[in-house]
Amino acid sequence: MLPQALQQYRSLEISDPRVPREFYFSRAAYTGRSRFRNYRSWHVDFPKADRQFLIGLRRLTNLDAFEAENPLRLTDPNLGRFPFLYTVEVGYMALTQLEVEGLRRYLQAGGFLVVDDFWGTYEFENFQDQFQRILPGYPIVDIPLDHPIFSCFYHVEEIIQVPNVGQGMQGGPTWESDGYYPALKGVYDEHGRLMVVINWNTDLGDAWEWAENPYYPLKFSTYAYQMGVNFIIYAMSH
Amino acid sequence: MASWVESIFEFLFKYRPLLYERGELSLGVSWPLILAGVVAVVLAVPTVLRYRDVRGKSSARDRLVLTGLRTAVLLLVLYCLFRPSLSLSTIVPQRSFVGILLDDSRSMQIADVENEPRGRFIQDTFGPEGSALAKALSDKFIVRFFRFSETAQRLNDPAALAFAGARTHLSRALTRSAEELSNVPLAGLIVMSDGADNSNAAISDTLLELQARKVPVSTVGLGRERFTKDIEISRVEAPRSVLVGSSLIVDVTISQRGFNGETVRLDVEDDGRIVSSREVELSSEATTVRIHFTAADPGARIFRFRVATKEGEMVSQNNQRDQLIYVEDERPKILYFEGEPRYEVKFIRRAVADDENLQVVCLLRTAENKYYRIDIDDPEELASGFPKTREELFKYRGLILGSIEASHFTHDQLRMIADFVSQRGGGLLVLGGRLALSEGGYAGTPVADVLPVVLSPAKDRSEAEELAGPAFFSTLTVKPTPFGATHPVTQFGPDLDASSERWATLAPLSTLNDVTAVKPGATTLLTGSGPGVDEQPVLVFQRYGRGKSIAFTVNDSWQWQMHHDMPLEDMMHELLWRKLLRWLVSYVPQQVAISAEKHRYAPGESVSLLAETDDDRFLKVNNAQVTATVRTPSGERFDVPMEWTVDKDGEYRGNFLPREKGIYEITVSAMRDGVELGTARAFTESEDLDDEYFQAEMRMPLLERVAAETGGRVYTPDTVARLPEDMTYAEGGMTVREQHDLWDMPFIFLMLVGLVGSEWGYRKLRGLA
Repeated sequence: MLPQALQQYRSLEISDPRVPREFYFSRAAYTGRSRFRNYRSWHVDFPKADRQFLIGLRRLTNLDAFEAENPLRLTDPNLGRFPFLYTVEVGYMALTQLEVEGLRRYLQAGGFLVVDDFWGTYEFENFQDQFQRILPGYPIVDIPLDHPIFSCFYHVEEIIQVPNVGQGMQGGPTWESDGYYPALKGVYDEHGRLMVVINWNTDLGDAWEWAENPYYPLKFSTYAYQMGVNFIIYAMSH
Repeated sequence: MASWVESIFEFLFKYRPLLYERGELSLGVSWPLILAGVVAVVLAVPTVLRYRDVRGKSSARDRLVLTGLRTAVLLLVLYCLFRPSLSLSTIVPQRSFVGILLDDSRSMQIADVENEPRGRFIQDTFGPEGSALAKALSDKFIVRFFRFSETAQRLNDPAALAFAGARTHLSRALTRSAEELSNVPLAGLIVMSDGADNSNAAISDTLLELQARKVPVSTVGLGRERFTKDIEISRVEAPRSVLVGSSLIVDVTISQRGFNGETVRLDVEDDGRIVSSREVELSSEATTVRIHFTAADPGARIFRFRVATKEGEMVSQNNQRDQLIYVEDERPKILYFEGEPRYEVKFIRRAVADDENLQVVCLLRTAENKYYRIDIDDPEELASGFPKTREELFKYRGLILGSIEASHFTHDQLRMIADFVSQRGGGLLVLGGRLALSEGGYAGTPVADVLPVVLSPAKDRSEAEELAGPAFFSTLTVKPTPFGATHPVTQFGPDLDASSERWATLAPLSTLNDVTAVKPGATTLLTGSGPGVDEQPVLVFQRYGRGKSIAFTVNDSWQWQMHHDMPLEDMMHELLWRKLLRWLVSYVPQQVAISAEKHRYAPGESVSLLAETDDDRFLKVNNAQVTATVRTPSGERFDVPMEWTVDKDGEYRGNFLPREKGIYEITVSAMRDGVELGTARAFTESEDLDDEYFQAEMRMPLLERVAAETGGRVYTPDTVARLPEDMTYAEGGMTVREQHDLWDMPFIFLMLVGLVGSEWGYRKLRGLA
């Protein structure tokens, strides 16, 4: 059965999703521990963040991207048709066994996963535990700044901590919990190919979602868009 | 003519048909005497007329019959009185020469006649103990012996024949022996051979020359025209060079005699290690099968194709064939130009990432005038986008065009892409996509001429239509054509059926290109069908100029990797792309190329080298300094100067004589004005060849042709006893004219008896006696 939000999404379709496009910004709809749809769940910032990012993506690149969001369950047999997948709030992720198997197959076949918006040690450990269920033995490591993912479209020279919208607009601290330092981590397959990118202690999704807000600092939204574009260009060429 | 017919002929007409063929009929009396006879006949007419009125009991018909019979008798007698004779040019004994060419090749060791080697007849005939044939020949002629295999050499003692020649070159043998005997009165040549010529040389000119010089060549065929039991690897169709790790599909033809319906195992060995094998049912006299194997190790490799010897085979040496293949360990560069970020980029690169012998340099347009370059060799490579000069583009051996519109290129760049195929000889692969093929506006451009599919002008679409989606879209279930099911790139199974079944397991793909027709001469390997599309060409190729062009009209082959119906362990996507890209750059010429005429030579056989030289724009260079360096099997090196052939631009030839057995490495380098144009490498082998054991059945048609076109005759060991006498009546050599009486031949006597007897019988029958 579709999650409620996904059913709601269907009614929000702004264009016929059957029109074939090269790229769909697909968001993983997974099972989590949060009881609230818009808090600590896959649905956070959805769909505004997705749509706003797609507007920027289509303007900044010549990618033939579908204009709307594209949430997908990890058990969806069509998951493989969308080799790019975005997911948030993995600190409270609690995958079912079928979801674990679906995501494992997706990654092993060549899918690319971008993880975003989770903070601090507790949430990292939860994600780590979940990921060990997906691909046991695959370490999560730092991605060095000379990696092509920092330069394939935009040259990004440093990793910035992007705060949530509230803290970002109020000018408060940029961290949450004990996640003081942002990191870009990754998981490589046995051939050394990057298959998972993990934005830890940072929240690119909020920056996309509130980029149009004049009170949201340009520095954060610029970085978020640059990294988002780089993730996609890299995912489609490596 | 059958021998019994010839015997009857000889009995009736006193001489053999050959003498009538070669002689001239004449009468032995002078013309005045003939005239006198005619006058006598004329004078006899009134006498005959006088008796016309004598009637008796006879009727007019009786008189007509009797007069006819009697006249025939008289005419026959008159003919005999005129002394008919056969005028023949006849050899003067011991004044003319005859050359006897004895086949000294290995095939003469084949014991196919009563378990005796073919050469035994020669040894028995001309051995120390002698024979009637040898004596008859030496009585009539001055005999000169020649041994021949690859060439002809004078032979003093026929007993010295070793039957060890590696090849049989009949035309060369005839030419050499005739030349050597050109200054003596030559009655003719005798060839004793199985006729199993394996020189691949044309013999027509040689025969014409012998005919003009009136040198009849008689042939004695030794051996069986058809083996009772034999299996032979008669042909192996394999490339001379491949990239290391390439999957090869080689056509092997197996011929058989006496094993129809039986099954044999065909093995492929690389350095003694079996790398592939398959069962083959010998359903006809020649069965061609395809066998797969991988060229795993680099260098000059000798692959052996072998069928185990079966009991009763007449020749066991022809059950295997060796093939020298240069397994190149290089990394040809392919430029992949993609006009927009697409998953095909990721998954094509991923499919060939582990292939150390392919370098796919990717130029990805990520935004207007913004490019992302992947796997470039230096920072300057493709720094300003797609190459603008031929020198820059022609460095690559393959070019892939993705979803990139034609209007992105200048006309010169489009012309350059066409020249990349036709002139440089590169491989062009065009992928399907929303900005590719017809939808990319390529119709009417130079690139359209190169492509194997027919393009149509792009339709004008409104902005609303553009926003609504692509002009054409369909999902396609892809399947191979019968040709594709067994093509090296698209065959995924041991045979056609297995390959087709394998393709049926694949997920459907999608296409954004309305492709309906392929060009004449193009070959379709894959087609697809789906909603609203009966059959769309999916993978099509054609040769174009020096190169080839391929169209792959789908835009998401990566589905074969990602689709949930595809098992994770399935390697179809990876294998297809590896094979496709290796094929794209296979046989693509480089600036400098070198090849030996053959991949194997017999010891002492001259190796002929051919080099081709182009500049960096792939224009032929005639003024280069081209040198081939040969490394012998023992490591010694020497240079072979290569000379421009003049006949053809950019072509240089040279040759050398291998002194030892083994593999020779030939490296050629070309310089012009002190600048190196390039180097290339090839291999050839000098080895004892087994060619003599292939197609080794006695080839009577060739021997008959040699005899017929030069005025000689064909013999077998059973009929050869007549050869000395037949050669007596030759045009060449020292001859005299001889008259042979014909009046006393039994046929005339029998005719006389018959005519007189008929007259007598008729009279008795009619009561006129």
